[in-house]
Amino acid sequence: MKTRVHIIDNTTGQAVEAEIFDEVTVEHFIETQQEWRPIVLKAARQLAARGSHQLIPQHFHWDWTTKAPELKVLANAFYGIRYDNQLQGLMKIETVGQFCSCRLPEQVDKALVYVDYIEVAPWNLKVLMNALGEKPRYNVIGSRLIEAAVLKSKEEDCKGRIGLHSLPMTESFYIKTCRMTPVGRDPAKQNLLWLEYTPEQAENFLTGAR
Amino acid sequence: MADKRTMTLNLTDQEMSLLEELSARKDVSKTALLRQALRLYQMVEARLSRGEKLFFEDEEKKKAELMVV
Repeated sequence: MKTRVHIIDNTTGQAVEAEIFDEVTVEHFIETQQEWRPIVLKAARQLAARGSHQLIPQHFHWDWTTKAPELKVLANAFYGIRYDNQLQGLMKIETVGQFCSCRLPEQVDKALVYVDYIEVAPWNLKVLMNALGEKPRYNVIGSRLIEAAVLKSKEEDCKGRIGLHSLPMTESFYIKTCRMTPVGRDPAKQNLLWLEYTPEQAENFLTGAR
Repeated sequence: MADKRTMTLNLTDQEMSLLEELSARKDVSKTALLRQALRLYQMVEARLSRGEKLFFEDEEKKKAELMVV
């Protein structure tokens, strides 16, 4: 699957056409290690040097290459966004597994698609680019990936229901931007906040995204 | 979306009842539920083949290993 999606070029404020795809390979994982991780670590060091430890992204140590064996598992799906010949974002979702059941009372036990990992290229993250004295390049990458998860949920007959555990720094993105429902802290997953979409919320998000 | 192939599935009354019950509880079609079951089977098999074990844990944190054939 390859589809054209619009992302925002922050230098012009204009929408540009990027490509979202699900044929993710280990080469893409290697690309994140080579192209993303050095920038993440450089920015994290700057933030630490300034004493701004609370701004260091909790995902700074992620290594996508460790997920290579999961590429062959049909329960997983991976999505990437490419623009300007660079990977701008990457996401792993699960269509079946431990976290693929709803917890919201009105849809408890119904099947959902679980967003396991989602990461945006460091040059698109304001907190990291500010630490390096630069401005973030592209916007709405995370929203485009969430949109892909919702579409996958509909394809899997989950009717747009998705769920995820948010890192503390990204909670406001999922609550305010995506308008997901925060359900509660999950002691089984480092006490991270669990959020969900109902089919109606997912449809509203898709409508707003278009 | 990947191309799909069609097959006929013969189930006993009990199996069909279970499929209908689970698909209603999960709010997905019977086809979607069976596809999920197949993927789950593959995921479990893949992890067991790497030497991992599958456990269920009750509310008192007691673990029971699930044997998969």
